Amino acid sequence: MAEGKDIKQSNWFKVLTMGMWADHPTFCMVLGICSALAITNRMDNALAMSAGVTFCLVFSSLFVSLLRNVIPARVRMLAYMTIIATLVICTDRFLKAFFPPISKAMGPYVGLIITNCIIMGRAEAFAIKNKTWLSVLDAFGCGVGYSFILILMALVREPMGFGTLLGQRIMPQTWSNWVIFTIAPGAFFLLGVYIWILRTLAKKTE
Amino acid sequence: MKSALKILAFCLSMGTVSGALLVGINAWTSVRINKYEEMQLKSSVLDALEIPYAENNVIDVFKANVNVIEKDKRTIYKGKDDAVAFEFKGSGVWGEIYGIISLNPDLVTIRNVKIIHQEETPGLGSRIADKEYLNLFKDKLIFPELVFVPAGKAKEDNEVDIITGATYSSKALEKILNRSISDFMELMKQ
Repeated sequence: MAEGKDIKQSNWFKVLTMGMWADHPTFCMVLGICSALAITNRMDNALAMSAGVTFCLVFSSLFVSLLRNVIPARVRMLAYMTIIATLVICTDRFLKAFFPPISKAMGPYVGLIITNCIIMGRAEAFAIKNKTWLSVLDAFGCGVGYSFILILMALVREPMGFGTLLGQRIMPQTWSNWVIFTIAPGAFFLLGVYIWILRTLAKKTE
Repeated sequence: MKSALKILAFCLSMGTVSGALLVGINAWTSVRINKYEEMQLKSSVLDALEIPYAENNVIDVFKANVNVIEKDKRTIYKGKDDAVAFEFKGSGVWGEIYGIISLNPDLVTIRNVKIIHQEETPGLGSRIADKEYLNLFKDKLIFPELVFVPAGKAKEDNEVDIITGATYSSKALEKILNRSISDFMELMKQ
């Protein structure tokens, strides 16, 4: 009995941490790039987006997993799309009504969470064939991993591009803003460098 | 046949449930969202007319101090001191530029320009919404029309500096402001 419990425990831990490193959505699977480029020019936007994507990931995986025996195989893409779209639209309306400044700062990118490949990817790769609890953990792990890369990017882009972090000025007055980091091309280069560094590190630890 | 019916039943129920959820959320949040947008507009008008207010009494201060005149589907906001404010809207480089411009009671000089919405390049074109830049418009003459000149060269009373590196955004703003001012003048003549 104890042995069975041990296997189960290591199973959930593995599922949770896969999305944070070994199977990271962005630098391993190269998913979720659009929002990683668009939203990371300021730290507060990156944090809000991380929360939004993690929330939508967890709940969409939850619902897909709960309904996995009811969804007919031939319409599963349709089912994912409906669940994800409904969830994201509800999140968008909720932000607009209760946190309008954040909603304004993030603009159309909240709606674009629907197109974020990570969510559909996890639904199809994991949630549709696994138990609810494990699906939620997997989604949460991927959400945390994704948040990690968003924060890493914003940590470079906001100070170098605007001279601030979370709105507080942190660069000396003599700093000349590297405006390229405030727009997408600069983010693209930065992401490339990060993927290179993180993938090299990951190979080293395997 | 049975599987086709199953698929149909599933799609119908999925559609109904998500539709109902969305309608519900919309009903629940509409009131707050509309209220917020109304507050945005009213506080921008109050800012443009330089009427002081606190965060929690925007609507009351607006009602007490601003006269709303609707003419020909256009709205003009008149302050107690006869300063006027009206909206300007048009295409910038990337998206819509939308704001409020107010004129002093003499109706020939600008009191304030406020930008409510713009989608210009961050750090460059978006600087048209910065306080430092918009302050350049104070007391500028709108006759014969606003002219944007290269940075530092503004001499006449109707000339304003272009932002270096944001020529197109500045030029777009020039066009939008002049157009809304001439529309307003047309309205005043009637």
